[in-house]
Amino acid sequence: MSVAAPPIAASEDMPEADKRDLWFCWWVLPFFYSFFGLIFVLLTHVMPPPSPHKTDEQITAFFHAHGTTIQIGFAILMVVIGGSGILNGFVAYEMKRMSVTPVFAYTYIATLAVGAIPGCLMCAFSFLVASFRPDRDPHIVAMLYDVALLTFVGSLGCFAAQYLTLGIAILLDKNEIFPKWFAYVSFWNVITELLAAPVFVFKKGPFSWNGAISFWEGTVIFVIYLNCFILLLRKAVQDQRAGEVVQD
Amino acid sequence: MAAETAMSPSARRLPGDVNMWVFVLGDMVFFGAYFVIFMYYRTRQQDMFLLSQRHLSLASGVVNTLFLLASSWFVARAVQAVRDDMHERALRLVAAGGGFGVAFVALKIHEWYALAHHGFKLSTNDFFMFYFALTAIHVFHVLLGMFVLGFVGRELRRADLRRAWVVEAGATYWHMVDLIWVVLFAILYVMR
Amino acid sequence: MSGARRTSVVWLALSVLTLGSWLLRVVHDRGALSASTAATVGVLAVALIKGRLIIREFMEVRSAPAWLGWATDGWLSLLWATILVMYLA
Repeated sequence: MSVAAPPIAASEDMPEADKRDLWFCWWVLPFFYSFFGLIFVLLTHVMPPPSPHKTDEQITAFFHAHGTTIQIGFAILMVVIGGSGILNGFVAYEMKRMSVTPVFAYTYIATLAVGAIPGCLMCAFSFLVASFRPDRDPHIVAMLYDVALLTFVGSLGCFAAQYLTLGIAILLDKNEIFPKWFAYVSFWNVITELLAAPVFVFKKGPFSWNGAISFWEGTVIFVIYLNCFILLLRKAVQDQRAGEVVQD
Repeated sequence: MAAETAMSPSARRLPGDVNMWVFVLGDMVFFGAYFVIFMYYRTRQQDMFLLSQRHLSLASGVVNTLFLLASSWFVARAVQAVRDDMHERALRLVAAGGGFGVAFVALKIHEWYALAHHGFKLSTNDFFMFYFALTAIHVFHVLLGMFVLGFVGRELRRADLRRAWVVEAGATYWHMVDLIWVVLFAILYVMR
Repeated sequence: MSGARRTSVVWLALSVLTLGSWLLRVVHDRGALSASTAATVGVLAVALIKGRLIIREFMEVRSAPAWLGWATDGWLSLLWATILVMYLA
């Protein structure tokens, strides 16, 4: 290490200029999730998911009806998906400000990097492939539909690990980067992820991929988590003091 | 109950840790939603639910309820012991509480196994779907609770720690697990 | 009544109530496969009482700030009222 930085009073807030990179990262949050909502809810009709209880013909009709918006929506996703990399790096940085080992931060990144594939991209690509040739055999279209939605709702392990990692890190953190109650909000999502496991079995009812428990309740809890997280990340950036030593 | 109303506001305190209360209250609300969703499906297929319910071992349900009630009793007494600075005693009480938790899980697994042996599984019908899913997520909470009690035990063993609020917070969580089971017992096993 | 004794009395009451609902169920269960409104309403009432005892006594909401008592009583009332209404519907 080279010459130590001159000592700065602990009560001084970090000059705003030094935090511009962090603020940029934070602003990616509302933009990214707005895109996410626009894409998955309005354009591609993945949230809420269409029913697993459809026949092959009905599924083909679904892609005929929504093919254009699916293609627009998921093409946009391919452009903006890089935002998730920024967000994960940003959260990992905040986790490195904690007193716990940076292993937590690395685990957070790793679980989401893996999770993004089944949790988001496979759905996007499957829907895009299904919409690419409208005259495809309905059996194949139905399979693409199943692949898309089973991966989207059923990729629960990676995310359960992510929520667990974040929650445990917060509880152990002596630097209080995030309030302890948020660890528990994170843990709620672990439970809802576990309750998504039955989607591989049920084509209707509360435990199907569009069911009251496996989808709806889990999504409501996720939205609560996300809103809290956006506000808490803002506070974390604001509260960062000048001269704070962040572990490597 | 006179003692309760006579308490001045300053004498009232939140046991444990407000963050744990966030968790517990939230969990109660989410489980509440699961219970209501269960009732929605039950009212549409009441006869099938009644028929299927008969395959449950009511005795197992009762014994499991008694197990969790006993465990909560021990944990509540552990909190009292900590407040009296009797850490050894508190540790033994927590261990006893945890022991009943283990007994609960063991009996529950036995119950699942017995049902599976008779051909009942998650996909058998909506009653068993709810039965297995809800008892499974509850058992997950019990296992988490064992971990919490273990953490409380560690807190009690270390002379430099022994913070009462940690024991109280752990107890709050454990009692919630008991509370949720009381509802499950009523709606899955006993309600007709 | 000392804290420890009160806790033990509560535990005993909870256990007795549990055995009570078992008895209620077994007695009404005489081979008949049918639903029983009276027995079930009894069971739900007992469950509400047990829940409230656990909350107020074991979870010490009795001596907690008033808002917690309101919140938990609200949860209990809303939950059991909803279950009852759906059951009777």
